[in-house]
Amino acid sequence: MKINTKQRKLVKILSIMVLLVILLLLISLNLGVVKISPMNVFQTLIGNGTPKDQFVLLELRLPRMVLAILIGAGLAVSGSILQAISKNDLAEPGIIGINAGAGFAVVLFIFTFQGTMTGLSALGIWLLPIFAFLGALTAAALIYILAWKKGINPIRLVLVGIGVNSGFGAAITIMQIKMNPQDFMKAAVWLSGDIWGTNWNFVIAILPWFILLIPYAIWKSHTLNILSLGDQLAIGLGTSVERERLKVLLVAVAIAGFCVAAGGGISFLGLVAPHIARKIMGPKHQLILPVAAIIGSFILLLSDAIGQNLLSPTQISVGIVVAIISAPYFIYLLMKTN
Amino acid sequence: MDILSTEHLKIGYEEKIIVHDLNIQIQSGKITTIIGPNGCGKSTLLKTLARIHKAKEGFVYLEGEQIHKIPTKKIAQRMAVLPQSPEAPSGLTIFDLASYGRSPHQKGFARLTEKDKEVINWALDVTGLTELKNQEVDTLSGGQRQRAWIAMAIAQETNLLLLDEPTTYLDMAHQLEVLQLLKKLNEEEGRTIVMVIHDLNHAARFSDHMIAMKSGKLIKEGTAEEVMTEEVLKEVFQIDAVVVKDPRTNKPACLSYELLKNQEKKELILAK
Amino acid sequence: MREGNAILVSRHLDTKNENNKGRKLVRNSSLLVISIILLILFIGMSISVGAANIKLSTVWKAVFQFNPNIQAHQIIQEIRLPRTLGAALVGAALAVSGAILQGITRNPLASPSILGVSDGAAFALVICLVYIPTATMAEQSVASFIGAGIATAIIFGISALAKGGVSPAKLALAGVAISSLFRSITTAIALHYQVAENMSFWYAGGLSKVNWQGVSILSIVCVVGIVIATMLAKGITILSLGEEVSKGLGQNTFFVKTMAFIIVLLLTGAAVSVAGPIGFIGLVIPHITRFIVGSDYRWIIPASALLGAILLVLSDSVARLVNAPFETPVGAITAIIGVPFFLYLARGEGSRR
Repeated sequence: MKINTKQRKLVKILSIMVLLVILLLLISLNLGVVKISPMNVFQTLIGNGTPKDQFVLLELRLPRMVLAILIGAGLAVSGSILQAISKNDLAEPGIIGINAGAGFAVVLFIFTFQGTMTGLSALGIWLLPIFAFLGALTAAALIYILAWKKGINPIRLVLVGIGVNSGFGAAITIMQIKMNPQDFMKAAVWLSGDIWGTNWNFVIAILPWFILLIPYAIWKSHTLNILSLGDQLAIGLGTSVERERLKVLLVAVAIAGFCVAAGGGISFLGLVAPHIARKIMGPKHQLILPVAAIIGSFILLLSDAIGQNLLSPTQISVGIVVAIISAPYFIYLLMKTN
Repeated sequence: MDILSTEHLKIGYEEKIIVHDLNIQIQSGKITTIIGPNGCGKSTLLKTLARIHKAKEGFVYLEGEQIHKIPTKKIAQRMAVLPQSPEAPSGLTIFDLASYGRSPHQKGFARLTEKDKEVINWALDVTGLTELKNQEVDTLSGGQRQRAWIAMAIAQETNLLLLDEPTTYLDMAHQLEVLQLLKKLNEEEGRTIVMVIHDLNHAARFSDHMIAMKSGKLIKEGTAEEVMTEEVLKEVFQIDAVVVKDPRTNKPACLSYELLKNQEKKELILAK
Repeated sequence: MREGNAILVSRHLDTKNENNKGRKLVRNSSLLVISIILLILFIGMSISVGAANIKLSTVWKAVFQFNPNIQAHQIIQEIRLPRTLGAALVGAALAVSGAILQGITRNPLASPSILGVSDGAAFALVICLVYIPTATMAEQSVASFIGAGIATAIIFGISALAKGGVSPAKLALAGVAISSLFRSITTAIALHYQVAENMSFWYAGGLSKVNWQGVSILSIVCVVGIVIATMLAKGITILSLGEEVSKGLGQNTFFVKTMAFIIVLLLTGAAVSVAGPIGFIGLVIPHITRFIVGSDYRWIIPASALLGAILLVLSDSVARLVNAPFETPVGAITAIIGVPFFLYLARGEGSRR
């Protein structure tokens, strides 16, 4: 039966992607200022490595990579959900301003409570993601309210999102001007997409959210499938459209918020990864979400590796690399879809 | 019993009222068609019957119960709806589309049970799509695509099926294909069919009961012989029609028509 | 009897049309005249307010009876006059660019900032400044033109090549992608060469560094651009009805589009090279203009130029005053007006499907 074929394909694709991810991890560990060869990676992991390797790998690189994997997966899943509920292949948290909302909240948080961006206090590490989530939620609420006109129209949703994006962008610029130059620079780097919280505390602060939300999103695959048919058919099939849409929207927004907390403003990933996944696996979300997630992780790891090593010692923010890779692909998609 | 009925139904969008004070009954086990000129409210009526659109005043009853009091999932187990020009995401197979029809009977992750698969395969069989079940919906012909959507509606396992202009963008052969399928579903399985349709002759040929509307009001309802008359057509469509008996089906058919002359139009308006 | 009625009715309609045309002419011309007067007034006001308030009479004298020994005259001539004139010209240029883009792409959401044209210009300009720090204003402008041109080419390319045509939403999204792309690369370069802070301020749009050189280049480009645009206006009006309709009416659509493309890149490029990418003027003004003068681009173009000039002069005054003596980026002010407006448009756009 076709179903089993699809399942087999899913397993195949996932396995290939996991292998690619591991390969990429090993390669990028072998690049950079401190190179750790695959052999040494293995040694270090089983406890036999040099103290230097141990420190670099376990305390610096590994948390960063875990974050990259989480953020990449998260943005992909968030984008997939947004595309399903807006019935628009071109929606994703960056474009429709959810990332900007989270970004604004983070900049506000730092400016008001922390004073500087140089280091987060222990409390800060826990509070920051919450603030980011609230910012993302505010943006989403704004978009929802403003796009509501006796129901949600997909095109209106995206356009309002673009407007909200501009609005928060302007607000962020104004905040930035008020900062001192050092903070300003740090904020600028972070806003363009930067995996900055590279220690395990940060990972632990973020991880539970992802472990909760991403599987829940996959659980909701059937709902997403039905919502993609459009409101009239979804209602006819007995779905409480407004309620279900709100539920999955909240999930998408929450995930996006935490991604921004961990990695700043990364755009287009939430768009490109689901697209590729859809091309390979077809339109059912049970298959799209897992594949999009791992593709997202891969792209982000790749972008991070490029960003760290291409113009060494200058670091190019991961968000910039993602944008440079994805934007042309996005434009190509625009020209091809209807 | 009337499977669907309305009471003093008033429907509109924002400020505009499209249907005024409508009272109709849909009889169980019959094919009912709703005809009328553009903008008469027939699509809006169908959507309101299907609870997709909320009425401003009045009630819709599904098997005697007020439809807005029934949980939407339960409604979907009793009534299937096929809106106008439905769109399937690209790459979806016929089987998958039909499987979505099982949604009202599923929970949570919605894995397909054996019963589900049985019903889906049976729906595909009834619509003659079994061989094509792994093909993608967007690669099908118009008639096949519409049958795929009907398969999804059948998989819902409801007695009542509402369709909004199921034949409008299809060519002649495919139109007949779809209508004959619906007739089969009605005759062999006793399903109640309610559809909005543009082609008068098709409506007359396939209906047990016809409802003619104009400007949101019920003009005439009854059998094809009662509704497809020159007087009714003049009033509803403002046309001067010639109605004959189709020699093959023995049903009334509109052979040809002319636009009413201005004088006649004025008389019509004055007579109201 | 009926025929008599018909003739009476048609005669009545004819006279109505004539009356309408006459009324329109009067209304639109008076709008233009009023706008010119208002513009001059606002320019004068703008020059006179600021960190040091200067009387209007002094402003007048500074322009027409310039005395280099009076400090107030110096301030006016060296700083304020170029700045305010610059604001007027940039406002006009962006507004006209926006009007042309909206007409050609038949997209009410089109504008140089939304479609990424401004960011393209900014990108090229930053590259120029970083790699050729000694570039003259003229050379910078050329870089800006090139950048704007690349972005505009992409936009027109997408409009032309996209399967099934381009809906307003799709084009807006394309613009987001293009502006994001250019902005990312620009940020990367700026961070690398450590000019990010200066650049960020400039990127938000500001007229604080406008000098006479910039103004002269800008005025030439503006005059040329706006004049050609007005000559092209009939073609744009027809094109805004639709590609096929336009061809059916015998328009050389390729010519019109190419000329429009060139004008947009010149106007936007010049505006960005002088004042950085300022958003929303090109979006908001054409709408207001269309609301007042109708859909004939022979009126829309000049009216947009004037209204755009007025809006930016006012915004610049606010930007200077709201947090004196610190400069607020004028882009933030235009955003305050523009974002709600865009959102209002976005709400309408979705339901027109």
